[in-house]
Amino acid sequence: MTDLAPPGGRRLDYPVSPHARRGGLQAAQRRIGMLMLLPAATAFVLIILYPFAQALGLSMFEDTLQTIEPIFVGLDNFREVLSNPDTWQSFLLTAIYVGTATAGTLVLGLGWALILNQPFRGRGAIRALTLLPWVVPSTVSAFIWAWIFNSRFGVINGMLLELGLIDVPQAWLSTPEGAMVAVVLTRIWRSIPLFMAFFLAGLQNVDGEQLDAARVDGANNFAILRDHILPHLRPVLIVVVVLGVIGGLQDFDTIYALTGGGPVRATAVLSIEVYRKAFEQWDIGMASAIGVLWVATLLPPAYFYLRLLVKGR
Amino acid sequence: MTKITKLMATALAAGIFTVGAAQAADLSWMGYSYAEDSAKPSVDRIIDGFTTKTGLTVEPIGTAFGDMQKTMFLRARSKTLPDVAQISERWLPMFSTLPGLVDYNEVFGKDYLAQTYAPEALAMGQFNGKQYALPLMSGSIGMVANQAVLTQAGITELPKTVEEFKADLIKVRDTVPNSVPYAMATKNNSDILVDFLMWVYNFGGHVIEPSGKVVVDSDASRQALTFLVDLMNERLVAPEIGRPDARRLVGQSAAAFYLDAPQSRAFLRSFSGQDKAFDVNVKPMQVPVVHEGDEAVSIQWAHLIISFAQSNPPTEKDPNMQFVKYLGDDAVQTQFPVEQSALPGTISARANPVVADDAYLTAWAQNNAHPQVNEVGTWNNGGELTEILAEEVQAALLGQKTPDEAITSMSQRMAASMTKAGFAQ
Repeated sequence: MTDLAPPGGRRLDYPVSPHARRGGLQAAQRRIGMLMLLPAATAFVLIILYPFAQALGLSMFEDTLQTIEPIFVGLDNFREVLSNPDTWQSFLLTAIYVGTATAGTLVLGLGWALILNQPFRGRGAIRALTLLPWVVPSTVSAFIWAWIFNSRFGVINGMLLELGLIDVPQAWLSTPEGAMVAVVLTRIWRSIPLFMAFFLAGLQNVDGEQLDAARVDGANNFAILRDHILPHLRPVLIVVVVLGVIGGLQDFDTIYALTGGGPVRATAVLSIEVYRKAFEQWDIGMASAIGVLWVATLLPPAYFYLRLLVKGR
Repeated sequence: MTKITKLMATALAAGIFTVGAAQAADLSWMGYSYAEDSAKPSVDRIIDGFTTKTGLTVEPIGTAFGDMQKTMFLRARSKTLPDVAQISERWLPMFSTLPGLVDYNEVFGKDYLAQTYAPEALAMGQFNGKQYALPLMSGSIGMVANQAVLTQAGITELPKTVEEFKADLIKVRDTVPNSVPYAMATKNNSDILVDFLMWVYNFGGHVIEPSGKVVVDSDASRQALTFLVDLMNERLVAPEIGRPDARRLVGQSAAAFYLDAPQSRAFLRSFSGQDKAFDVNVKPMQVPVVHEGDEAVSIQWAHLIISFAQSNPPTEKDPNMQFVKYLGDDAVQTQFPVEQSALPGTISARANPVVADDAYLTAWAQNNAHPQVNEVGTWNNGGELTEILAEEVQAALLGQKTPDEAITSMSQRMAASMTKAGFAQ
């Protein structure tokens, strides 16, 4: 019979598997945990960390069609990018896009959640339908809105002409303001379902008796919203704003499909600028440099969001 | 896992690999014609004909025209270049640096190529003294009119001068409801480039000299841009129109004039839904000149074939070289280009009655007899130059800058780009 005593330890009276390892249950659980994490960690390294590290490296090289082998240039790409007025314009456009889209989604998402929190017939079906914009692929959404804004066949021009508000069809996507409004509206339309879902979840925990008491005391709807509902939703507000900012900063496909970054760079946010440098001007080094700066703008809201998650607020 | 299960898994894997290996094609051909509904059946016929003749198989890879450069660049980086690729003539300088690009002079010999291909078509495939590409089909970019729209507007003759052209555009605007009289490209950088270049040449200007010096800052360029801005202000052209949109508008008889390659007929057959019955409306014409008697302008255009070496050095026996040679056969040259309404690249095919008796192709060649080089797209930094030019033209068309400001800014920015690329200004 196998000696069941571990080396240097006391003899055990119960059978121990010959496959048992040292370290006890906690160590075994840690090993199992690590094994469970391994696929996700591998995917993270291969899909996110490695490409980012490669881009960081490429940002320090001159890598264009004219350079058969990339040439190390240190921080020259960053100097050139930061001294280019077009880059600062992209930063400004990104701030405008993210700011207006997030603010618009916040207001409309909260309003819609407040409406859907009221009891009425068909509420469940409307809640389900509200999720549709979120489900539709982003490029499909962009093409839908491109047709809505189309100067020749668009619904908007059709309605305005029918109502007599305009005499000739307007080229909405051919003006800087019109193009920015179009991409912001598309972003808001796509993001409302997510914001609405967060707010609706938060509204379920609002104390109805407190609201009734407030009404008895003479508070109107605005006062109830300001003094009771918004304070209660504060944690949710912070989360959706951070997620909205991160999502807006990451957005590329909607803007590219709708306006291509035009007209005349009117919607050339950072993501578009990276694409243009890489795939229209074939300047991988500069594209990587702009990409690194783009990631740098994403880091603060991402860090803030992670802190919120970890601290549980 | 039991031993039997392991054995079955191994056998299955071996079977998959064997079948997979057996199905791998002898060569791959990447091209944008295969991604176009109107051209795909023709490409399939070419591939079938080649396989029947040689027993070699071809894997066709379709990539949209607008994505072709990007896809080639990415494939070069990932070392997955196709064996044969279809490119536009203005991309050749850019692709000349790709590794493994075959110089056909070393495979087929200069004499053979000179005897087989039309000289001006062969010349479009040359760069730095090497024959990096052979013509699949050639022609030029010129103007096309829709006779049905002209008839509806009461126009009986094609305009010869810019004054007649503008007058005809006004007639179309005022008589054909919801029309875009001249479907000029006002969207997509590469489309705007072609249209603007055409009018700059027409007004006697140039953009970049062969030495690399930017010369767009001229009275001719300003006059050309001012002319186009006037057309926009009078609603004779429209914003948000790219080349595909222009083809659709003309095919649907909602536009009277536009610029395109001779493939225009094939596109308009498809977009009109009338197939060959629409041919009677497709009228090649000269780009209206500034002064009566001026020589009409057009821009070079060709679809070229490049190859990447399958062996070192490449020989005629390589599957891809056999395919390239097959593309120069009359069987292909009297079929594919003609179906696409373009000129074949070979001498014998051009003399064939199928081509020589085609009134459309004859008219196209007569109206566009002296095509000029695309002065912007041929440079390695052509992408950046195209973006600069298109942004400034768009800014002027949309009223954000005056034509004068746009040309000045265009010149400065393009000069900076060419200086960075190593060309003295």
